[in-house]
Amino acid sequence: MILSVLLMPPLLASCLAILVRPYKRFVGWVSLIGASLSFAASIALCATVVTAGPLQDAASATALWRVDALSSLLALCIAFVALLAAILGQRVGRPDREELSQTRHFRIFTNAFVFTMLAAVTIQNVALMWVAIEATTITSAMVIPLTRTKASVEASWKYILICSVGIALAFAGTVLAYFDFVTTAGEVPGSLNWTVLRATAPSLHPQLLQLAFAFILIGYGTKAGMAPMHTWLPDAHSEAPSPISAMMSGVLLAVAMYAIARWKAVVDVSVSPWFTNSLLTAFGLLSLTIGAFSLVIQHHYKRMLAYSSVEHMGLVSIGLALGPLGTFAALLHVVNHAVAKSMSFLLAGRILHRYETTEIAKVTGLLRVMPWTGSLFAVGILALVGLPPFGLFVSEFLLVRAAVVSGRFWVAGVVLVLLLIVFASLIDHLNGMLYGEAPAGVAVGERCNWSLAALALSVGVLVVLGVTLPRPISALITQSVRGVIP
Amino acid sequence: MVNGTFSQLVTLGSSGMLLTALIVLWRKGVPAYITAYKWQAWLLAAITATVGYYGRDPQLYWVAAGLLALKGVAIPALLRTMQRRFGAQREATPYVNTEVSLVIASVLVLFAYVLARPWMTVTHLPTRQGLPLAMGLLFVSLFIVVSRKKAITQVIGFLMLENAIALLAVVGTYGVPLLVEFGVFLDALMGFLVMQIFVYHIHETFDSIDVEELTRLRH
Repeated sequence: MILSVLLMPPLLASCLAILVRPYKRFVGWVSLIGASLSFAASIALCATVVTAGPLQDAASATALWRVDALSSLLALCIAFVALLAAILGQRVGRPDREELSQTRHFRIFTNAFVFTMLAAVTIQNVALMWVAIEATTITSAMVIPLTRTKASVEASWKYILICSVGIALAFAGTVLAYFDFVTTAGEVPGSLNWTVLRATAPSLHPQLLQLAFAFILIGYGTKAGMAPMHTWLPDAHSEAPSPISAMMSGVLLAVAMYAIARWKAVVDVSVSPWFTNSLLTAFGLLSLTIGAFSLVIQHHYKRMLAYSSVEHMGLVSIGLALGPLGTFAALLHVVNHAVAKSMSFLLAGRILHRYETTEIAKVTGLLRVMPWTGSLFAVGILALVGLPPFGLFVSEFLLVRAAVVSGRFWVAGVVLVLLLIVFASLIDHLNGMLYGEAPAGVAVGERCNWSLAALALSVGVLVVLGVTLPRPISALITQSVRGVIP
Repeated sequence: MVNGTFSQLVTLGSSGMLLTALIVLWRKGVPAYITAYKWQAWLLAAITATVGYYGRDPQLYWVAAGLLALKGVAIPALLRTMQRRFGAQREATPYVNTEVSLVIASVLVLFAYVLARPWMTVTHLPTRQGLPLAMGLLFVSLFIVVSRKKAITQVIGFLMLENAIALLAVVGTYGVPLLVEFGVFLDALMGFLVMQIFVYHIHETFDSIDVEELTRLRH
């Protein structure tokens, strides 16, 4: 019941946008109401799961849908970012004909995109989860060339090709694991379900599962923007319309990490966790390094935010490899990153709207031109570099602590040095944007409105997560950790 | 004896699928690639039906019929329309020339045999000879995607990659559950349609479907 309130609104809103032709304004409002319903349902879902345990539609072995703590945590993030994007995305189109058809296109695929992400985290069957994640690629790729320029066409092509090929490899990995399962246990109903796979994992062949996990990690890692498969990410995230960038960067990457974490839980039962941990640490450190050094040479602020996502996904990947403490830090980091990054991308969209350029050098005097947007953007960047009192400080601190506690001092050291590089370069770029004279031809001044208030709410969430980690959230994350650690 | 025929048929079909992928590396015209893809899809459908017959799994007949309709007829037809729209586009100079491509492909197939060794020992399926061939097809089609310059050739490489995985599923596990098969079909179709739209976008915006033109976004 709660699950259908979570999943149906975006699906129905997408269908409504298909049916209403030409586009009418009320579709936007329906999307907004749907997103709020979905968000409310995700909160209720979290509460139910924390108090009463996993929610499923049938007995554990055969259930198609199953929501445990980890699923509901991800669903909460997705619904929150989708709601923010729906509030800020209200003004995508202006009322002439061409723009109306663009807005319709935007509504259809954005809502479908949200639906596929929510489905991916609540489906129990690993192969159907793959289907949902592949569908996120298709739906989000359709929105990237909303305004068709050479750059956006190029970005969308790279995105669909690299991600489809990558995700196909993940399916090959899924088939390999299923092959192993069928050879050992024979065909049983629900044999592709998490719970069944985990229960049978001890009797599976470690060598086969290792190969399967390598495919799965490369496949979903491509989708999660892990280096060296990240090359599509800065293009797609910088060329997409801002609400889509916010969702892609804030939660879509996290959905791919979710898939990796789920598979890791299965493989770890059969193979020693050392195998998955070293792979995740290697990919994570590489992503962190490439993200950090690409930030130094960045000239475009949307690409800057995109590379910052590569860096943060690297951190999450390292965290998942550091045992229960590290996994706790990684999941908390996913939540914090979803809030901070989506907010920053939505603000970047506002800046782009006013300055009509994505170059950092051409954006000056932001605080004078757009006092509200400018200061919120500054807060967003400060949160992203991991300054207190924001949530990312706590999760990064916990992550480094987990590395030290588990005796991997060199991981902790490398992470700290790279985070320092990220800090210096992001603050430098931010300084250039905030101060100075406003460029000629850019209107000065801004009125505070509702959509900005919604973003200020995200700042509030970040501060609350940073100052006091609220008990319900920490209970939810602790239960999620228990779900993926053998 | 029955198992002997069965395993020979599957091996024959899988080798045929691998050969069709090599045609793409060897020939230079897009029409030849489309024909190669069509043969590959027919072979895949034939293997699926064979496995259905010998494995006594009537569900697989439906899957085979679906494969034939979607990948054997519909997608090649759409590819031909696309190709006709762009005129005679030849894969003039790929990133890697023909001779080197073929050598690399053979190394990839050898690698697939090495990689498949552990599974050959754990399974006694009569179809197991198809596993390394499916793996080889997977690597060769991945190589097609990264080494060719025309967007349409990359799409064909991607479609062959999908065939490789379908082959892997059918020879390794006698097919994944029908619900999953249906979802994968739907994704394959949607993914192909979106790619087709994007190839048209590239053609309209850049006046060429050479992905070498796509160099605006760096760093």
